Amino acid sequence: MQQRLPIAVCFIAGALMFLQYFSPHPVARAVFVTINDYWQIIFAFTLLVGIAAFVRTNLRQISRGKEAPYRLIGLAGLVLMPVLAVFGGIKIESPFQWAFENMLAPMQATVFSLLAFFVASASFRGFRARNAQAVILLAAALVVLIGRVPITEMISDTFPKITFWVQNYPSMAARRGILIGIGLGSMTTALRVILGIERTYLRGE
Amino acid sequence: MNRLKTRWIIFGGLFLIVTLSYLTNIRFKSVASPEIQKSYDYLDSLPEGSVIMVSFDHEASSLPEIQPLALVVLRHAFKNNLKIIGVSLFAEGTAIGYRLLSQTAREYDKTYGVDYVFLGFKPQQISAILGMGESIAHVFPEDYLGTPTDEIPIMMNIVNYDQIEMVISIADGALAVHWIEYVGGQYHQNIMTALTAAMITTYDPYLASGQLYSVIGGLKGAAEYENLLGQPGGGNRGMLAQTSAHVYVIVLIVIGNILYFRGRKNGKA
Repeated sequence: MQQRLPIAVCFIAGALMFLQYFSPHPVARAVFVTINDYWQIIFAFTLLVGIAAFVRTNLRQISRGKEAPYRLIGLAGLVLMPVLAVFGGIKIESPFQWAFENMLAPMQATVFSLLAFFVASASFRGFRARNAQAVILLAAALVVLIGRVPITEMISDTFPKITFWVQNYPSMAARRGILIGIGLGSMTTALRVILGIERTYLRGE
Repeated sequence: MNRLKTRWIIFGGLFLIVTLSYLTNIRFKSVASPEIQKSYDYLDSLPEGSVIMVSFDHEASSLPEIQPLALVVLRHAFKNNLKIIGVSLFAEGTAIGYRLLSQTAREYDKTYGVDYVFLGFKPQQISAILGMGESIAHVFPEDYLGTPTDEIPIMMNIVNYDQIEMVISIADGALAVHWIEYVGGQYHQNIMTALTAAMITTYDPYLASGQLYSVIGGLKGAAEYENLLGQPGGGNRGMLAQTSAHVYVIVLIVIGNILYFRGRKNGKA
């Protein structure tokens, strides 16, 4: 029973969502809208789980004295933003919007921009023509790097053409292969779950 | 120690190059690529009063690249008197989307609720996207500021995607794929994306198959679009910095390989 009931629920829900897709009947649309609403409600609760986990992990680490100042700032941010939004509103001139624009956004952009420095460092250390495959990769990278800046367009229109060729043929062929693989894999997994063949979500029983 | 010193020299070089690029006033004349021209022509061809949906599907971290892209699209839409419904499927895109829409609307003297509206954020992207195919007001019963959606003038005649000419997803990740696969596939809606440069190749297969109408890609795409619009902005300002950084990386790759082959010749590698 412990296994049969979840498998039956999964099959009914999966089959229902599959069949409603093909029906414009009002009942089918109503079923879809209702299930969709519940989907959002369940997801909203997962946000709460995330917040609870964030608070718990940070409090535990603070009590152990690990990176306490940073963790306190993180927790303060978690409390501050909703407080600002609730008491000061969310309009353009509100404190919430100010804090978002002038604190959160610059901090995140700064952390993200560090990537450029590591890319520069990695290009010097790691991008070596060690063998034939590495030479091909290196050549493709150089062509795309050169072709994606306007200065090369001013010199010659050949570089952008080569760049587009690299992107539109060899690169796209690889991406298509991956996408088709993902699509077939997702479809197979979904069918296996709906038909009760894949049962790892039942703790592997 | 030597390794650490080299790293700091590389970091310092990049910092210097990018900073100097932003301090100088050199501008590149970039020619619009076919993709940018296609995007521009489509928005330009829409009759006045047409409704488009702009979804801010990005995080705050990519704002320096996303902002010029978003601004150029919004400016073009408002300039042509198109009506905009703004949404966000990323929590962080919400405050940014609201600010960018309000800022651009002020430039063109547009009225909130009549010429544009911002519906805010909805969690669970796929569910929100599919739900709007049935009823936008059901998924967003209120706008970002708490006004009931049914009472907003621009939303009076909007039920679902059928009344919207195009969805434009401004994204820094794979979220726009959901718009393509669900809204494009199931509701036959035209989808355009404005993407960070790193994400362009991810969308190439969708573009080639016609599932995606067009892409405005990266700072370069923003710069090309700005030139078509005749309003140079953040895209053009960033072109020298991007060009310099690209050239710097190329030089580093070349130097790195020269040192590698020299070391191999001397038996060190």
